[in-house]
Amino acid sequence: MSTPAWDEFAELALKRIASSGAEYGDIRVQDSSTEHIQGEDRRIASIRDTRDIGFGVRVLYHGAWGFAASSVLSLEEVPRVADLAIEIAKSSASVAIERVRLAPEPVHRDRVVTPYRLDPFSVPLEKKTDLLLNTMEVLHLQSGIARSSASLWARRDRKLFVSSEGTHLEFDLLAGQGECTATALHGGQFASRSFNTPHLRKGYELIEEADFLREASRVADQAVEKVKAPAVDAGQYDLVLDPEHLSLTIHESCGHPSELDRALGYEANYAGTSFLTMEKRGNFRYGSRHVNLVADNTEPETLAATGYDDDGVMCQQWDIVRHGIFVGYCTNREVAPKIGESRSCGSNRADGWANIPIVRIANIGLEPGEATRDQLIADVKRGIYIEGHGSYSIDQRRYNFQFGGDAFWLIENGRRTHMLRDVIYHGITPEFWNSCDGVSDRSFRQRYGFITCGKGQPGQSGWMTHAASPARFRQMQVIRGEGSS
Amino acid sequence: MTVLNGTWPKMTSSDEFRFLSELVMTRSSADHTIVRLRDHHAGTTRFANNQVIQNVDARRGSLAVTVAFGGRHGTAGTTDFTAGAIQDTLARAERIARISPVDPEYLPPPDPSWFPVRETAKPETMAAGPAKRLEYANEAIGHCRMENIMAAGVVSSSATAVGIAADNGLFGYERRADARFSLTVQAGDATGWSAAAHRSIDHLRIQERTLAAIAKSKRGRDAYELPPGRYPVILEPAAVAGLWAWLIWSLDAKSYMKGTSPFAGKLGQAIVDERLTLRNLADHADLLGEGFTHEGLPSTASEWIDHGTLKQLAYDRFTAKVHGVITIPTLEAPALSVEGPQAHSIQDLIKGAERAILVTNFWYIRPVNPRDLTLTGMTRDGTFLVEKGEIVSAVRNFRFHESPLQAFRHLTAWTAPMEAVTSETGKMLVPAVALPQFHFSSVTRF
Repeated sequence: MSTPAWDEFAELALKRIASSGAEYGDIRVQDSSTEHIQGEDRRIASIRDTRDIGFGVRVLYHGAWGFAASSVLSLEEVPRVADLAIEIAKSSASVAIERVRLAPEPVHRDRVVTPYRLDPFSVPLEKKTDLLLNTMEVLHLQSGIARSSASLWARRDRKLFVSSEGTHLEFDLLAGQGECTATALHGGQFASRSFNTPHLRKGYELIEEADFLREASRVADQAVEKVKAPAVDAGQYDLVLDPEHLSLTIHESCGHPSELDRALGYEANYAGTSFLTMEKRGNFRYGSRHVNLVADNTEPETLAATGYDDDGVMCQQWDIVRHGIFVGYCTNREVAPKIGESRSCGSNRADGWANIPIVRIANIGLEPGEATRDQLIADVKRGIYIEGHGSYSIDQRRYNFQFGGDAFWLIENGRRTHMLRDVIYHGITPEFWNSCDGVSDRSFRQRYGFITCGKGQPGQSGWMTHAASPARFRQMQVIRGEGSS
Repeated sequence: MTVLNGTWPKMTSSDEFRFLSELVMTRSSADHTIVRLRDHHAGTTRFANNQVIQNVDARRGSLAVTVAFGGRHGTAGTTDFTAGAIQDTLARAERIARISPVDPEYLPPPDPSWFPVRETAKPETMAAGPAKRLEYANEAIGHCRMENIMAAGVVSSSATAVGIAADNGLFGYERRADARFSLTVQAGDATGWSAAAHRSIDHLRIQERTLAAIAKSKRGRDAYELPPGRYPVILEPAAVAGLWAWLIWSLDAKSYMKGTSPFAGKLGQAIVDERLTLRNLADHADLLGEGFTHEGLPSTASEWIDHGTLKQLAYDRFTAKVHGVITIPTLEAPALSVEGPQAHSIQDLIKGAERAILVTNFWYIRPVNPRDLTLTGMTRDGTFLVEKGEIVSAVRNFRFHESPLQAFRHLTAWTAPMEAVTSETGKMLVPAVALPQFHFSSVTRF
């Protein structure tokens, strides 16, 4: 949690802002600790323990933003940085055409703490390095494995947010993740297969609940099978996509285009704009009736469930796509009024104290359907079952995409048969989601998170979780993932 | 107004870094101690829809301490430069190192060496503040407003103090400046783009690049759809840089030795057109050469691909030692050149083409197959059909599916190397090139 000194710093900054004539200001003070243990080829290659402490001051003056930040947290630096933010806002205001108007938000005073059972920072390092070394040993028990890697990651963010409107929020947030990868060599070819726990806001129980040694044995076997597998024949296939794979598809083809700042052109020079333009809201058929995509920043353990966003707006749940129709955006207090919304949905987040918050994708998940996974597969004559993340790329309006995966199995006459390699499918976002004709039920639902979602200039990493049950997509165009295709 | 004069905040000086690193080393009980500094002060003015939407300035100083007891090592870092925090950082690094397993690949810090002194700290960039950035942003916006075209982009500048010190006497300190400009303009449905990065903020050439982006967007109207397939292409420098960045990132020696590299077995063999040469030109005024690397090794001139033949790999220190490589080459200032008669300009490449797709830039380039370096990505912000030496139309954006190792096997024409930077790559000097065949696998609808 925050310290009394942080409150003193916040008070100091807000006094400067108040006396400047600015209509709004806030300060975020943050102390982030990250532990990253990286194993490679049966060795612990690095253990890094990083503390990142600093503060950022945001000022809205005559409808224009200024932001300044510093890692020097002192009674001298805070007013200096606040003054700099004010001066930058004033100079921005001198050339502003359209003034920023913030959507109203109730004043909040709250503390948000991630519940956890085992603090990852108090788990002995030996225990963690032993787990990674044992995991890599298991990977190498499979004779075809040439390379291995395994890692653990944990981060704690202690943060104070105070605004000139009177909101005062304290945060103590935790997140973690672990993974391992096996690379097999065979006949001059190589192929990798990975196991990842989701990134979740949980303690070390996240790692203990995952059976790394069993998963390592499985992915090593599958890496060897994959490297020897036949390359896919290009053509039309039905696809059954697992939740981890769908998390990336949802992220790229639904999450990003539903960011309202992109639809408004703010990201045009970098991450791009959006095909989900404003006139489409409420009437555009984004997907089939099976496609319900819900933003939920209130679901416990998910990355964007932080209680409040970096506007001080309370986390919420809302629809992005309902029965296949595009209905909602991810917004912050600045852009929500531009589409007539009376309140931000609370999706304004910054990558730490040194960055100004921007609209970020919420936790967006595909709502479960009614089938079992086997029922989805049973109704496929010629198809491919895809697990995990592989190659991915999508155009700057999030329309034309191409995805690979981590593992592929041929489906023939309703049965999953052998593995394939070099599977790549491509398509157009609404055509893809309109080809969805079945989603598995809630018992198959899984969540996967992202911590490296790039957006903004200067670039920032965003955090969010995407949940899904396996889903089926009819007649997608599959090509072979190699140069000769 | 004193805070906007560009002198605030003062960066960590060489003497201050020496003091901080000696403070760590005198208190360290480890066999080896390395201290790394990165004190970064950067600002960005960002605009969209012809107005400033974001104007930021941030300073982050960070110090990382790596210690080793025998082959056990650990690293801790902090942004807090107070004595207590630095002591705590050292203690955390020591705690990690004491209980880490022995790393068979651990090596002591490199021996002290002389680091080249380069003009990495251009004073005009180091002194640039929000006012200068805003002035440049306004210049770009002003040109676009006059043309009734919407502009989105950034002007940024930064000053960084970088240092490395070790208890064997290794010491390096350098100040590095960096300035960037990029602009996407929208004329109806069409977009145009231009970008620059340079040590000197005075070298961004805002007007020239803004006018180039505007011209692209005007030409981009009424794009029509061509079917996917294999086409001759003219790739502008940014498009070439996007493809070559992945080739350069794949030169890892350890992967090569372990057989998990697209170059496996190809060292000493022809991998691209025999007229192509890739060098590191750390002293080139238009590249972002540095004095030393993160590991504390001097940055040097080096040759990586000589007349199409792979000559050099990117070594970590352990792999270099195992393979008897004494001088480890660096590749932070890549320059790709082509031997033979050059076209004077991109316009000359267009004039020489019977039929080709002209590509301004690629976007979201990602590997599809690490075995043959097949990549995918989209064309962006200016894709045109060239026929009989002229641009005849804009075309809708394509997705490509191609390996640079295949695409650059034969060049039909090229220019001299030019400055190239994209939002996803570092800076390079590369030619614009005409290639006889490039595989566009699908097309998008704008």
